[in-house]
Amino acid sequence: MSDLTRRGFVTKSAGAAAGMTAIGALTAAQADADHPAGSDPVVAYVRDPSKGEISVMTGDREVTVRDRKLAARIERAAR
Amino acid sequence: MSSHREAPAISKDAVADSTDLYAFVSPDDPSTVTIIANYLPGEAPFGGPNFYEFGDDVLYRINIDNNADGKAEIVYEFQFTTEVSNKATFLYNIGPIASLHSANWIRKQFYTVTRVDGGKRTVLGKHLACPPCNIGPGSTSDYGSLASAAIHKLGGGHAVFAGQRLDPFYVDLGSIFDLGDLRPLNKVGPLKLAATHGVDSLNKMNVQSIAIKVPKTALTSNGSTPTDATKQVSVIGVWTSANRRKSVIHNGDGTTTQTGPYVQVSRLGNPLVNEAVIPMAFKDGWNAAPPDGDFEYAKYVANPELQSLLPALYAGAFPNLQALASSGKPRADLEAVLLTGIPSGIVPGFQNNTGSTLADQLRLNMAIPPAKNPNPGGLAFGDAAGYPNGRRPADDVVTIVLRAVAGLLYPLIDKKYKVDAAVSLISDGLGPKNSSYLSRFPYLGTPSSGYATKPLAA
Repeated sequence: MSDLTRRGFVTKSAGAAAGMTAIGALTAAQADADHPAGSDPVVAYVRDPSKGEISVMTGDREVTVRDRKLAARIERAAR
Repeated sequence: MSSHREAPAISKDAVADSTDLYAFVSPDDPSTVTIIANYLPGEAPFGGPNFYEFGDDVLYRINIDNNADGKAEIVYEFQFTTEVSNKATFLYNIGPIASLHSANWIRKQFYTVTRVDGGKRTVLGKHLACPPCNIGPGSTSDYGSLASAAIHKLGGGHAVFAGQRLDPFYVDLGSIFDLGDLRPLNKVGPLKLAATHGVDSLNKMNVQSIAIKVPKTALTSNGSTPTDATKQVSVIGVWTSANRRKSVIHNGDGTTTQTGPYVQVSRLGNPLVNEAVIPMAFKDGWNAAPPDGDFEYAKYVANPELQSLLPALYAGAFPNLQALASSGKPRADLEAVLLTGIPSGIVPGFQNNTGSTLADQLRLNMAIPPAKNPNPGGLAFGDAAGYPNGRRPADDVVTIVLRAVAGLLYPLIDKKYKVDAAVSLISDGLGPKNSSYLSRFPYLGTPSSGYATKPLAA
């Protein structure tokens, strides 16, 4: 999950409110191979960038990614 | 009240705001239990052009604990979808609605019912039609037929209805939240006025009801028909919850993108717990928490603020209650009624206990048959088929709970305690709404029509 997130995450996100980033280009299929490919949006929520925890949601699922560098990059991208 | 707009956050989210929960052995079909969860408080009947409906983005649940662990073993889920058949009109209907299939009815709502039992999901019904709101004689002249057509019989002996009904609850909110000026007690109350009857603040108002009739055998933990009221297997704990997606993004074009798991935003078991027991600062958190975590809130039940307010508001009328409140003794009577159920040996021949887990649930002993002559005062007035053994639509829960807080049931755990004489006078001066209940499923009366209802008519 973290690798997939790193690959597609930061460069695609823009314009979100502070701390919250919507990533339309990271497809559900990328997020989870078990999830059928489709147009479900993926939402990532960085509540506290200093802790490096990223909550990634698609469909009715939510997983938590722990990656301080990624969280910091998302934060910078949202500014 | 009993849970209408009872917490700051949910008061701003009406379609997810549970107003009342009812659970009772169906009086006309005692092999079944009927559970009714009402949502959307205070519907003024003249609600056009955007008449009331359930939230398509809300997952409604009726949760059932049948093994006394405070968790749901059985869940009924209701998910709604709205269909608009004509995008050229601003109207809800463009002519009389004679049937649920009427082309004149532009905005229809449908729902799916799913039973979750031990993790196994079974879809009981799909694309089930809701009735329209009761608009008036020009649009919904035969409302009874429209509502009857929206009762759906499903597999496993279930029946469901989801749609607008007359709010069966009655309460004098105007007096209660004007510093507890109960009108029947005006002479001894802070206003020193003449005693009068109450004023039903919900008179003529409607709600959105989710009603389901379930065979008892589909509710017990072992599939049996409960016949022995002393057995734990005869008791279920019920609560309703409304749930929303964790993430909501407003896209800026009038649409939203909703993603992630459902999280609870509202719940309701017993009437008045979040309304009148939980402090305002914690109400939103309580709504989001599971019932089996209610030990965190038990102190507010054990020492409720209201037991101190009554003696303060009605000086001299409740000396024994005042002494009890001042003593700091935990109110084990209220804990039993609201958080564990009443154990055996307290009320002869009755129990609805679900063990030691403290959880706000509406507990129903299904082995207690329906009363031939129901008393809205319920168990405290000798009718074991009424609140707090489940709850029937006409039960006078405001009076029951107010008197219970005032010490009516405390002698059950302390025989030396003397109930204050004024307790028998406590009431908001109201009774069941005449002719507002049906004798058959879904048991709630026909909603008030927009055309016929005069605003704020008494």
